[in-house]
Amino acid sequence: MRKIYLSIILAMGIMVTSCDYLLDIEPEYTQDAENFFDTPEDYERALVGVYDLLQTSYLHIWIGEIASDNSIAGGESVNDSRGLHEIDNMTHGGVNTELRDIMRWNYTGIARANYIFEHKDKIDFEGKDQILAEAKFLRAYYHFVLTTYFGDVPLIVDRRLSLSEVSASERTPRSQVYAQVEADLNDAINVLPDQQAEIGRITKGAAIALLGKVQLYQNKFSEAAQTLDRIISQNQAGYDLFPDFETLFYVINENNSEDVFTVQYSGQQGGDYGCFVCLQGNPAVGFHGVRQYTGPFYGDGNSYNLPTQDLYDFFSENDPRREGTILDIDAFISSQPNAGEISYAVGAGGHTGYFNNKYIKRLDERGLPDDDLTSPLNYRVIRYADVLLMAAEAFQQSGNDERARTELNKVRQRVDMPAITSSGNQLLQDIYRERRLELSGEGYRFFDLVRTGRASDVIQGFVPGKHELFPIPQVEIDLAGGNWQQNPNY
Amino acid sequence: MKKILWFCLAMCINCSLWAQTIAISGTVTDETGEPLPGVSVLKVNSTVGTVTDLDGRYNINASQGDQLRFSFIGFTTVTRTVGSSTTIDVEMDSDVSSLDEVVVVGYGTAKKKELTGATSQVRGESIEKMNMPRVDQALQGKIAGVNISTNSGAPGGTSNIRIRGVSTSGQNNPLILVDGVIYDAEGLNALNPNDIESVNVLKDGTAGIYGVRAANGVILIETKKGAVNSKPSFNVGAYYGVQSTARQLDLLNSREYAILKNEAFAAGGQPLPFGNTNLGLGTDWQNAVFAEAPIQEYNMSVTGGTAKSSYSIGGSYFAQEGIVGGPKANFERYNARINFTTELAPRVRLTNVLLYTHEQSSTIPQGGIGSVLYNTVNAYPTEPLRIDGRYSYLDNVNDIINPLAQMANTYNDAWVNKIVGKEEISYEINDKFTAVGRAGYNYALVDTKNFNPLVWYGTGKAPNTARNANLDPVILNIGELEIERGANVSEARNTFFDYNLEAFLNYAETFDEDHRVRGTAGVSYIGNRSMGLSGVGFNIPNNDPALADISANQAAGGFLNNVGSFQTRQRLTSVFARAEYDYKQRYFISGIVRRDGSSNFGANNRIGYFPSISTAWIISEEDFFGSGAIDFLKFRASYGLSGNDQIGLFRYRGLLNGQASYVFNDLIVNGAAIGTTSNPDLKWETTEQTNFGVDATFFGGIDFTANYFIKNTRDLLFQPEVSALLGSYGAGGFPPVINAGNVRNRGIELELGYDLRRASGLNIRLDYNVTFLDNKVTSVPTGLDFIPGAPFGVGGSVATRFEVGYPIGYFVGYQTDGIWQSEEEIASSSVAQPGARPGDLRFVDQNGDGQINFGDDSDRTMIGSPIPNVIMGFNMAMDFKGFDLSANVYAALGQDIIRNYERQQPYANMLSYNLERWTGPGTTDTYPRLTTGQTRNTVFSDFYVEDGSFVRLRNVTLGYTLPRTVTENLKISSLRFYVAANNLFTLTRYMGFDPDVGAGNPLFAGVDNGIYPQARTVMGGLNIKF
Repeated sequence: MRKIYLSIILAMGIMVTSCDYLLDIEPEYTQDAENFFDTPEDYERALVGVYDLLQTSYLHIWIGEIASDNSIAGGESVNDSRGLHEIDNMTHGGVNTELRDIMRWNYTGIARANYIFEHKDKIDFEGKDQILAEAKFLRAYYHFVLTTYFGDVPLIVDRRLSLSEVSASERTPRSQVYAQVEADLNDAINVLPDQQAEIGRITKGAAIALLGKVQLYQNKFSEAAQTLDRIISQNQAGYDLFPDFETLFYVINENNSEDVFTVQYSGQQGGDYGCFVCLQGNPAVGFHGVRQYTGPFYGDGNSYNLPTQDLYDFFSENDPRREGTILDIDAFISSQPNAGEISYAVGAGGHTGYFNNKYIKRLDERGLPDDDLTSPLNYRVIRYADVLLMAAEAFQQSGNDERARTELNKVRQRVDMPAITSSGNQLLQDIYRERRLELSGEGYRFFDLVRTGRASDVIQGFVPGKHELFPIPQVEIDLAGGNWQQNPNY
Repeated sequence: MKKILWFCLAMCINCSLWAQTIAISGTVTDETGEPLPGVSVLKVNSTVGTVTDLDGRYNINASQGDQLRFSFIGFTTVTRTVGSSTTIDVEMDSDVSSLDEVVVVGYGTAKKKELTGATSQVRGESIEKMNMPRVDQALQGKIAGVNISTNSGAPGGTSNIRIRGVSTSGQNNPLILVDGVIYDAEGLNALNPNDIESVNVLKDGTAGIYGVRAANGVILIETKKGAVNSKPSFNVGAYYGVQSTARQLDLLNSREYAILKNEAFAAGGQPLPFGNTNLGLGTDWQNAVFAEAPIQEYNMSVTGGTAKSSYSIGGSYFAQEGIVGGPKANFERYNARINFTTELAPRVRLTNVLLYTHEQSSTIPQGGIGSVLYNTVNAYPTEPLRIDGRYSYLDNVNDIINPLAQMANTYNDAWVNKIVGKEEISYEINDKFTAVGRAGYNYALVDTKNFNPLVWYGTGKAPNTARNANLDPVILNIGELEIERGANVSEARNTFFDYNLEAFLNYAETFDEDHRVRGTAGVSYIGNRSMGLSGVGFNIPNNDPALADISANQAAGGFLNNVGSFQTRQRLTSVFARAEYDYKQRYFISGIVRRDGSSNFGANNRIGYFPSISTAWIISEEDFFGSGAIDFLKFRASYGLSGNDQIGLFRYRGLLNGQASYVFNDLIVNGAAIGTTSNPDLKWETTEQTNFGVDATFFGGIDFTANYFIKNTRDLLFQPEVSALLGSYGAGGFPPVINAGNVRNRGIELELGYDLRRASGLNIRLDYNVTFLDNKVTSVPTGLDFIPGAPFGVGGSVATRFEVGYPIGYFVGYQTDGIWQSEEEIASSSVAQPGARPGDLRFVDQNGDGQINFGDDSDRTMIGSPIPNVIMGFNMAMDFKGFDLSANVYAALGQDIIRNYERQQPYANMLSYNLERWTGPGTTDTYPRLTTGQTRNTVFSDFYVEDGSFVRLRNVTLGYTLPRTVTENLKISSLRFYVAANNLFTLTRYMGFDPDVGAGNPLFAGVDNGIYPQARTVMGGLNIKF
């Protein structure tokens, strides 16, 4: 009898261990990360994933302006995006949400690109080169952003890092990062067409322009001049300055001949504050809006990134770019027939009376609710005017004042400003001035000031030898095993 | 020797009276006069015996002088000597000793006396008396070591059950089994508390019989069953109550508001908003939002049994409206239940359990920024409720909308149909072995419908769905198309199916009288399948909720309409064995081992083994133990491992379920990206628990239980932040789940019970329990200083953390030290506080560098913890001559709450403590100045942390049962009326609506975003039995 019971128990045990196969269940209706890249569509879909992170570029409009003398952080209170207020005051340190976002999101873009390169040889098909070329451009852009902000950053190429490898990672010298960025861009230039069938895809012109910018940021002036001249002289894509500066940043004028490298946004998908990286809209636009504004033309927003009096006064009164760049809200309201009915509120995060008039919520340009987050307004990362001004600077710095003046005056001519005739250092200063006049509100000012060594002259609290680079978020240093050296003086 | 003499004597008497056998008959009743069927009636020292019938009647032949012994489980045995009367009616008293109570443990039962583990039981009656909508609400304060906190007081709102502390930053819910069927904690709404026979809680290592799901403790709920040989007994119950809010916040009225705002704007260098501050009281938004709301329940059941079968059948209806939202925050439940047990063949018993629930519920936005109460608190009093016949807009505040408009435009409905059932066959193979096989299932069909009409809450309000006040829809341009985005309805149908197949063998045998051996061995297979289908339909005609169905959508070309679906599977295969041995019912030892395989883990770590051992010694059975005051004394010790596999599915592998979208040609294009980064080495969390306990009974009526436990949870399943280099932070991307981090909970639990029965008819039962808990994180993932939790304010800093050396979810921020009184004080202070102005909060320089650092963590410190140090429950029940009175008091002490429902906006209304603000040197050292300008007073500091301790009278009930003489005339066996009040008063210093602020995520516990408070309820009801 006892034997029977024993054998029952034994049988139960065997039954269950043999039942372990029941645990081998596969997730349904979803693809596995290691079981992908079987069709050209798989490559294309993975590429969309790399493009996705371009939309986080809105942060540069904030940081590049707020860190500089162009604008203050603003917002509901000093705790509203505290990181931006700290950057505004040059008190930023190792704990900063926005800087951490820059790091996380750009490395995600790199990881997604590398995911394609890991599997680039799995199948062959027509058009794969172009997919890889676009991915290389994007990887180069993300690396460029990272090194611009943080200096030496770990360079990760053609493979994803695994959890166990992180602690052994090291910060790669900036020169090596730049070298990889240039190599990636040159590869992209060789493959990409001048024009793409789909609006929004990276073109050869975008890659050349970015390469020129990368060279300029390394003070490789003659190389930069040569690179940028490829766009200006050959101009296969037909780039030109858009005639009307004041409406240049309207949605209806998107993707015009002045757009060289543009991040595309859409208002057709809602969003929430919980996930900015999920957005398809441009949150900077709604955030720049006038707080609790009720009135014509503009939509209400969060009063972020407010231009300073200093910037307003920098423009001459007859320069149409002043109005195109800065909204003087009180002047605008008093010019309206129903001025008495128009109202707005002042945020406790600061108030200057001015708003970013390039990237601002306009009533007929809103996306789906919550339209603070869903603006369809594209971010022009590099527009042709910038190409001309970068070329002017590169030519001037490499001794060609003539070409420098030519390119500079193209930009001035568009807004009917008198031609510049200076030369030498005065010409260089004029080019710098023109960059501020033309490009303010677009997120380049701080980086221009840093790379040209002028930051400490104009930014209050800027400490030379420290603030040229942003601090690596302390938590990222810790998460990477604690071996990285923080940037100097942080 | 004496016994033998007596025996002989009895034999003699027997012999001498042998001839005079007479027929004795009578009725056996309990102390309430209810007939007791199935009572065994035995002539002492004979084999002559019988059993009472359904009416409690018996007939037996006996002789004068014979002794009749009446015995029945749960009642004190009665012996009567046969005299001259042929009728012997017996009233039996239920057994006072709780030691013989049967407690349900895993895959079997045990007498409380014999337990080796830390197990607590709550009887159905005490749950029933509370008249709570949910069983977990009724359990608050009933069991030592079990902390129940409330997520929301709204109808249908949920609670958190935490057994012996919070042990993980992940899933802390205990395993809940209803009649052996898996029942998830969120679904407890479906269970009618009146249907419950008992709730049994396995708190220590002996819960390990449930292996990889047992780390958070196990709750075994048994529903009511019938008894064989009992007459049908009908129970009808009903109550009706009125709920109201127990508290309103003290907010500024219009005049106060205007004065304070003028002051704040002046300080901020802005023009004063109010020329005239004499504005009277203004609008009381709380009065407009809070309303009285009904709560009611009606139930009926019948229990009984024949010689071979027993049954318990019941039905009930419960309905509750919200004190905020009324019918928009509604919960209705219909329950039907059939429990049926029958003997299919000799020794073969079939048990059938079937519970059906239908729920209908509506909810309003609650418990966060944008919730109705958050808007109510922040809406300013100078705005009327309505302007020109429409709801006012509250134009001066961003993101705060008119809460009445919000409620009026909210249409969130859900319907749940749930069937829980079990078929169990037990076969008593012989007197030693019983085999049990069972299949259980829990199937829930959940339908939700959410109608979003076109609404205009005022300019710039984020929840606006219309383009303007005329409710014109937003127009979208997709390519050449212009599409109206009208009212929409989103619907979802989700099904959740849990099933378990189990077989086990129980064995019991006693050797040489003193050696008792018992064993259980079994197998279990648990599966879970869920599926969902959802859709959104746009352009519902006429903005009409009556047409809110996807079928009515008029979306042009269906361009906006959206669909989604999901499906999940999860499996667990297990083998388990338990062996128990005791010697002379004095020394007990028990061992358990369970082998679990969970589909949530990869092949590297799929199988886990969970052993535990427990022992007990009943010292009061020892010969050397003098009886004295102590009637019973037992020592217990246990040690065991258990696991937690609740981490979501397929986290061990990398799936392409991330989001990848970009815009080409002005259209959103979707691609593919990795979602959660994979970790093939993922394994379960392990909880190692040691428990020492004492059970004692003294002075004949006082029960005492004490436990000391140390619970270490290691390999916590975390999704900690990982290095940016891994690229886990894209849309839909998440860091890998890894095993890292340890938590320790230590505590002492005491339970005291006192029973008093007086001959006068006065019965009193008092129960008191107290738990002291110490929770500490002992390790976090490498490279991390802490894991951040809940944010403070809007876009504010992280206020809670999971950090080594601190309780889970402790609050971190600046410590304040009064108010800066003057410029001189600021200038002469040894600590520089950037931006400080007179009237600002003075922060403490934690790192002593002479500077308050706002850019980093160096001056932030622990300023609170959401975990109570002590929780207590006191339960009282007494009855006297038909009157009964019961009360339940719950106290949680030592926890803190973050006041996070104050919107820091220039025009938002404020709590009245702001009247005490700093206005000049010496005015206050507590409340800072008001300003709309830049200030650090709004950074997270202990100014926003309050003591959350509270003592609450949760229930008090006064009932009266009509005398039997009256009820007999009415042809019913009992009729009781009662009045009761729930949540009658709360002692607390907390300013908010309700100090019982829970959160499912332990890192969000104690953060009050304007919690939906628990209502105060006054009710009356009746119970009829016939």
